[in-house]
Amino acid sequence: MSIPVGHYQYDRIDRDFLQARIAEFEGQVNRRLDGTLSEDEFKPLRLMNGLYLQLHAYMLRVAIPYGILDSRQLRKLGEIARRYDRDYGHFTTRQNIQFNWIRLEDTPAILRELAEVDMHAIQTSGNCIRNVTADEYAGAAADELVDPRVHAEILRQWSTLHPEFTFLPRKFKIAISGSPNDRVAARFHDIGILARPGEAGAPVFRIFVGGGLGRTPVIGEELFDSVREEHLLATLEAILRVYNAHGRRDNIYKARIKILVQAIGVEAYREAVEAELAQMDLERYRLTPEAVAAIRARFAVPLLEAPADADAVLAQQRRDDPLFDRWVRSNTHVHRDPGHIIATISLKPGGGIPGDATSAQIARLADLADAYSFGEIRITHLQNVVLGHVRKDRLRDLWLGLAEVGLAEANIGLIGDIVACPGLDYCALANARSIPIAQKLGARFADTALQAEIGALRINISGCINACGHHHAGHIGLLGVDKRGEEFFQLTVGGRAENGAAIGTILGAALPEDETVDAIARLVDCYLGRRESGETFLDTLTRLGHEPFREAAYETV
Amino acid sequence: MKRPVRLEPGQKLVLTANRLLDGRTVWWGADGTWDSHIGRAAILDADEAEVALLRATEQAQRDGVVGVYDTAVQDVVPPEPVTVREKIRAHGPTVHPEFAVETEQ
Amino acid sequence: MRLFELGERSAQVHDVLVTLAELAERDDARAVLLESADDPALLKPYLNRLDLVVLRFPVFRDGRGFTQARELREYLRFSGEIRAEGHILPDQAAFLRRCGVDSVVLPKDGNGDPALWEKQLRQFPVAYQRSVLPERSVGPGLRVEEAS
Ligand code: HEM
Ligand code: SF4
Repeated sequence: MSIPVGHYQYDRIDRDFLQARIAEFEGQVNRRLDGTLSEDEFKPLRLMNGLYLQLHAYMLRVAIPYGILDSRQLRKLGEIARRYDRDYGHFTTRQNIQFNWIRLEDTPAILRELAEVDMHAIQTSGNCIRNVTADEYAGAAADELVDPRVHAEILRQWSTLHPEFTFLPRKFKIAISGSPNDRVAARFHDIGILARPGEAGAPVFRIFVGGGLGRTPVIGEELFDSVREEHLLATLEAILRVYNAHGRRDNIYKARIKILVQAIGVEAYREAVEAELAQMDLERYRLTPEAVAAIRARFAVPLLEAPADADAVLAQQRRDDPLFDRWVRSNTHVHRDPGHIIATISLKPGGGIPGDATSAQIARLADLADAYSFGEIRITHLQNVVLGHVRKDRLRDLWLGLAEVGLAEANIGLIGDIVACPGLDYCALANARSIPIAQKLGARFADTALQAEIGALRINISGCINACGHHHAGHIGLLGVDKRGEEFFQLTVGGRAENGAAIGTILGAALPEDETVDAIARLVDCYLGRRESGETFLDTLTRLGHEPFREAAYETV
Repeated sequence: MKRPVRLEPGQKLVLTANRLLDGRTVWWGADGTWDSHIGRAAILDADEAEVALLRATEQAQRDGVVGVYDTAVQDVVPPEPVTVREKIRAHGPTVHPEFAVETEQ
Repeated sequence: MRLFELGERSAQVHDVLVTLAELAERDDARAVLLESADDPALLKPYLNRLDLVVLRFPVFRDGRGFTQARELREYLRFSGEIRAEGHILPDQAAFLRRCGVDSVVLPKDGNGDPALWEKQLRQFPVAYQRSVLPERSVGPGLRVEEAS
């Protein structure tokens, strides 16, 4: 078997490790069933292996490290959806996939099937270092400075069953990007890492700490500007050691690292980390160039060959077919190779469930990845799918293939590209349903010509203050709240996760569910009526301030 | 921690939990067994619910359920939960009518 | 009290176990009990006379003990026995050992079955990060196994 493009190829040692983890988990399940482990003891252990108990069943969250899979793995996910779930899966904003109808007794068998294709559910939940996320265009984008995947893989390995950091005060999320255009929401993570080229070929890392969403949204602050590669792991160990020792454990809402950083200040945090580093045996923690090279060697590099006229062929096809042209405009991104292009496949059909894909669609995506993108698939933090290396002259064939399974929606980055958490339809912590409101908004703005007219506008929906749908970071954010058993939504505007990260401002009192869609339509109308040429929603909002939008939203209420 | 139960007129209580083996939502029946259909739930007044809750919690491990609690329902046949959350637990996700609990065997 | 040894160092029995606060007054104390909020650096003046540091886990989810153990080994170079007690699970055996803990007080319930602890210690042939133990590389990359 050849090495997959885009992610680390396991060897026998890695596979033995996975088998050991499955055996361990199976033992834990058996001890739960015979009563040796109480539910209070079992819960953190099952969460550490991605297994939640939701409203109707168990949910299994499978790790997709740095969001990249190969077609074999994707096919396996489709099979699992078919055999053990109800024929669909849900892609999440943390680049993972969740299955909603899992039986505890089936999980060891599911984990064994996943291990056949080098996949697992390790640390996709729990108070440990979670699945590491990375730029969805890694290794493909023209604007990239450093391909972050090798270091994302290093972080995945280093954090796997870390002996010291598996019982942290709270979950811990790390994201890494190597592009000046932040596509990972680095400053909304416990640790955000931006890589750039350093001297002598090795990258250096800018490290942000203490970002996060949830109940208390905080934008991460810069801890270090230039960490050398050899000290990357030592630095992360030191940051986590300070957090593990001093993070609050008396109140889960105050247990994230962001609260500690806010409480003592980023300068004091930096001093504490430096004090750790001064005492550590740095040689022991050194990330050697040999180790990096060994891991890099297990990533295949796609052989990018395109005919000289690829670009011209695509240009002609776009002129001939306005529908195709519209899709290319919203759903593609510039590749570093002029004969190739990055295609984003929307999992947001108008009126559909954001991020859901049926097993048939999953299987088809795997086939298309084989045919058009070296068998490589990426999951984005906006719950879409990316084929990273598509030859320009073959893009239209891909688009036609996608249309056959209802995956050719032209709405990436537009108002129909809604991010929503599972909400009260599944989630035990929810206050309100997120999916139905996403569906109604999707249906309201289903016309892709209208979406193109509205331009860049992101709606994010969370069913409770935990903010899994990133509502604080949405250009328009919706937060579900419970008012005496009824569903209400609080609106925010002006959030953004990209460069210039900002937390949205609350517009006013929460609206009843059945008035929310109309209020958002009025917000959008307000923007369309008052924008100046070339302005996006955010531009107009910045120029006019919130007041006109607040008035529009609450006009008839 | 036990919340004081405040029932509106016309409301009663049922006990609910999730099954340990498959996680499915279940409701406590008059015969002490757990069933996935709320229609078979025992409808209890506040005092009965307190006794039943204690017993069901004690026996949770043996009965293979987790997270036993009581919740208010309209006292009709079949009983209908009061909150959106419990309605969804009783009937299934609103976004997948094909998975309605009622239509399962 | 049943002890389980995670490594080669055999567990010692002590009549006098004092808290961090009591340590200064008890010249005879050779063993100290650290609560999870205690800073191990405060043991510095006493390290020479201490044979045993007991780390108390209030609940197995409270992972501060792992950092305390590492600080004792890595920063303070403590070479005596480190023991974990309180609410701990056999599922944590290898983590404890890799952070420098030598022994545990076995829980009194089903989690105290030594066979479970024994099994978990041997569950994983390799690890993906360095610990306080002597280790050597396995294959290319970050992977290590214990150097016996
Ligand atoms: C359905 C079961 C889920 C449960 C029970 C759950 C639980 C939680 C909780 C409790 C938090 C807040 C943690 C804190 O701030 O300390 C949280 C945050 C978050 N969750 Fe979820 N979640 C679920 C599903 C999802 C899904 C489907 C996604 C992705 C679409 C997701 C992604 C996130 C993200 C990105 C955060 C945000 C913020 C942060 O890390 O600061 N979660 N989740
Ligand atoms: S935001 Fe709330 S409702 Fe939505 S998935 Fe997260 S915890 Fe559940």
